[in-house]
Amino acid sequence: MAQMTETTQPLQSALGAHGSGRAGASIHAKGITKVYGQGGVSPFHALGPIDLDIKPGEFVSLIGPSGCGKSTTLLLTSGLEPVSDGTVEVDGKPLTKPISEVGIVFQDHLLLDFRTAMQNVLLQQEIRKLDAEKIRARAEMLFDRLGIRGSENKYPRQLSGGMRQRVSIARALVHDPSMLLMDEPFGALDAITRTQIRHDLEMLWLETKKTVLFITHSIEEAVGLSDRVLVMSQSPGQIVEEIKIDLPRPRPAHLGEYPEFSKYAERIYKIFAKLGVYKF
Amino acid sequence: MTAVSPLRRVLEPILWFAGLLLLWQLLVRAFDVPIFVLPAPTDFLADIVEERQRLFYHGLITTKLILIGFVAGAVPGVVLAYLIAKFRIAERILYPIVIFIQGLPKVTLAPLMLVWFGFSDLPKVLLTALITFFPVLVDSVTGFKSIDPRQYYLSRSVGASWWQTFRLFELPSAAPSIFSGFKITIVIAVTVVIVVEWLNSQNGLGYLVLRAMDSSNTPLIFAVLVVGSVIGVVLSFGMALLERLLLPWRRY
Repeated sequence: MAQMTETTQPLQSALGAHGSGRAGASIHAKGITKVYGQGGVSPFHALGPIDLDIKPGEFVSLIGPSGCGKSTTLLLTSGLEPVSDGTVEVDGKPLTKPISEVGIVFQDHLLLDFRTAMQNVLLQQEIRKLDAEKIRARAEMLFDRLGIRGSENKYPRQLSGGMRQRVSIARALVHDPSMLLMDEPFGALDAITRTQIRHDLEMLWLETKKTVLFITHSIEEAVGLSDRVLVMSQSPGQIVEEIKIDLPRPRPAHLGEYPEFSKYAERIYKIFAKLGVYKF
Repeated sequence: MTAVSPLRRVLEPILWFAGLLLLWQLLVRAFDVPIFVLPAPTDFLADIVEERQRLFYHGLITTKLILIGFVAGAVPGVVLAYLIAKFRIAERILYPIVIFIQGLPKVTLAPLMLVWFGFSDLPKVLLTALITFFPVLVDSVTGFKSIDPRQYYLSRSVGASWWQTFRLFELPSAAPSIFSGFKITIVIAVTVVIVVEWLNSQNGLGYLVLRAMDSSNTPLIFAVLVVGSVIGVVLSFGMALLERLLLPWRRY
């Protein structure tokens, strides 16, 4: 039954009453590097050095092979892990600890089993003692927009994978952050659900214009969603190419409609082939 | 798999149990077993009715000790488990001590406790606590260690304090394992208290058993046995109920 409710009603692209909010933040990272176990017997150089320059309201994807440090980049730009070297600035302010202006969506939703969907979304309000009424209204709006109305009082285990991921997107956005960090958010979903949720995310982003840093394995997702795609090499990951995606929005379910799509995709495949990520 | 109706699920075990008692009754009567060796069910059931006030009085005292002893063992068990799961230094210091305590044949400590604490409830509570402590600790450590480390990214990104992290993330995540420890341990506690009551008491079910033995009143021993197992069943049922109430998400 849960599978049937995957699709959602079309989203109005006009700004709704609750639609607007804090604008997107800028992210500047310079020479950020991560070495795990530094000073220990076997330090592991996971990432970098890389530079990021993300404009307010921009949708940027990081694409690269497994273990190249994509997730680490996300942890560094949210302040959840300290950089080993380099600096990160959000809206011009240097980052030293985890910041609240950020919403994070992890690969396997990371919802708390023991809280209902709505309680999961309201967790942040409870912890930060935010304005309950305002947050509640935003949560209701997000449940509507993400097509999960009716699941408020269900526990994560009662929801399908796609619905859980929608709940975790609502959780990341409920406090109206200025940036959204997504770590392979659709990686665990089936192809049909992925296409729908990709579209729903794009529509939500068009309305709210949050800055999005989106990490993915999927060329289709990267090209389908982004203003810019940053292609990373194998570990320790570095950004080897930047590709501006110049396709009209909202983008269709079948990206092949655009001949340019195949060109973008081909470019990324070629980079991966050159790096030895693909051996054909 | 065929579905079994709820009525049948309740009735079936009751009927099997009744059948067993009936068989017991018939065998005791058929072979004319002396009552001081093995009383027939009707003998001790009659005793339960006749002695109900005494059984209730002593049963209540024993139950109180079980609950106090359980709490006295379970609370430190959960707290230490949290420390062991969270801090490697706590694990290094505490685990050897804990293993040593577990290796100790604890019931043999009873006489020592009598020497130290005399004829009070304290030795009984302490011994019960010592025995309930370990299984609760082991299950709680499992529970606290089962938390996905990435949950801490989440708790930190929403700015949770230490206490909020414990209350909103760690304790509820560990709760199912903690409860499975509780459910096993509360039943063990019944046995422990009754055994300790043999050593030193003026009341309680253990004391009643001793009195019954002195007067070769075997039916009374069986009556105490029934009351003891009823207490055990009620307590473990109560614990399951508490789990259902506190952890409603476990049903899904």
